[in-house]
Amino acid sequence: MIEKKVKIINNAGLHTRPAATIVKIAAKYKSDFYIYKDGLKINGKSIIGVMTLAAEKGSELTLVFDGEDEKEAAEEIVKYFEEGFGEL
Amino acid sequence: MKIDKKSIVKKKSITVGFLYEQLKERFNLRLLSKNPDFDKKITEQNLHRPGLALAGFVDLFSYKRVQVCGNTEMRYLKSLTKKQREDTLKTIFDFDIPCFIITNNNKPSKEFLEVAQKKHVAVFGTKYSTTKLAYLVSDFLDDQFAPRFSVHGSFIDVYGVGILFVGKSGIGKSEVALDLLERGHRLVADDVVLFTKKGEGILIGSGTQLVKHFMEIRGIGLINVKEMFGVRAIRYQKRLEVVVELEIWDKKSNYTRTGLENETINILDVEIPYIKLPILPGKNITVISEVIALNYLLKHYGYDAAVEFQKRLQSKLQKGSSPPNRVVDYFEHDFE
Repeated sequence: MIEKKVKIINNAGLHTRPAATIVKIAAKYKSDFYIYKDGLKINGKSIIGVMTLAAEKGSELTLVFDGEDEKEAAEEIVKYFEEGFGEL
Repeated sequence: MKIDKKSIVKKKSITVGFLYEQLKERFNLRLLSKNPDFDKKITEQNLHRPGLALAGFVDLFSYKRVQVCGNTEMRYLKSLTKKQREDTLKTIFDFDIPCFIITNNNKPSKEFLEVAQKKHVAVFGTKYSTTKLAYLVSDFLDDQFAPRFSVHGSFIDVYGVGILFVGKSGIGKSEVALDLLERGHRLVADDVVLFTKKGEGILIGSGTQLVKHFMEIRGIGLINVKEMFGVRAIRYQKRLEVVVELEIWDKKSNYTRTGLENETINILDVEIPYIKLPILPGKNITVISEVIALNYLLKHYGYDAAVEFQKRLQSKLQKGSSPPNRVVDYFEHDFE
């Protein structure tokens, strides 16, 4: 199991387009993917789940990956967060 | 299904301002004191009647709780001389009390309000009796301080039975939900379901404010169930009664055959009936879900099919062996 902390750095926050992209990336991997924010735990492979977070700029999320390809999944998703969803 | 410890949250405190906002209309709460500190925190869910503390015994005074003054407390304060009253109030208000609620339309004395204002303690008045108010406010505080957690799944009211479908992403929970809606059942929440523990042994589930009755169907995208199926297809909250876990048929896994042993899952110390349902081509999960709900209702009303069948078999075994009989005999000469 891999646990990573990430911060939302783009201005618009985690809106529909990045949410959809995150779900698409997560779906490529077999590992389970969960996101925690303020005590809310959601499945990172569900678009409604990711959008439920309503994560605005500056909010901190904990990403948890669990499964055979967790390393690769973590790498790609964390990178996407660090790039500010390509909106910087 | 596993309930992740990290996803269980419990509020540590609420502010007096929040309590007032939430209750002022519901319970006719009126603010009696001026410039109170609405940021004071309430950290305990129990209420306290400060009778003994007013009488001078403050050794075990639960001052952190919301203080409720009824007829007894107010009459007692009135019976004191002005000097005694001032001393008593001074002792009480030296503690960091979050707020007072005065019941039965009692009016606090001038001295009471003066000390309260000096200490910025909110004093509320209500027309309700102490017993009634204590019951209502306790219920509100219990709910606020109840443990909550979120689950990834679909929560549906099937014939009045709250069934939570869980399982891996993409296994078809939302599709089962949609199929059930089409057959007249009601959606509580899809994808993210929030559960709150009510009292002992009851879990209440609802959706989030943001998502409220939206669903995602793979290949279509987002849909709004309320707009599409109408108001009959939704409800805001429901008690959790059965957990159904969908999984791809696993040869090694043991699936229930007779239904004599009832499996349960422990969620926040509440035992909830738990059914593991294998998915196979040609298997209609929707109809099975309805049967699960009906079977739950039958058991609830005192009829357990598995137990009944066992009884029949046992009485037959006691009578001795005979070849299997037809159900009825009168078709014997019916050649149709």
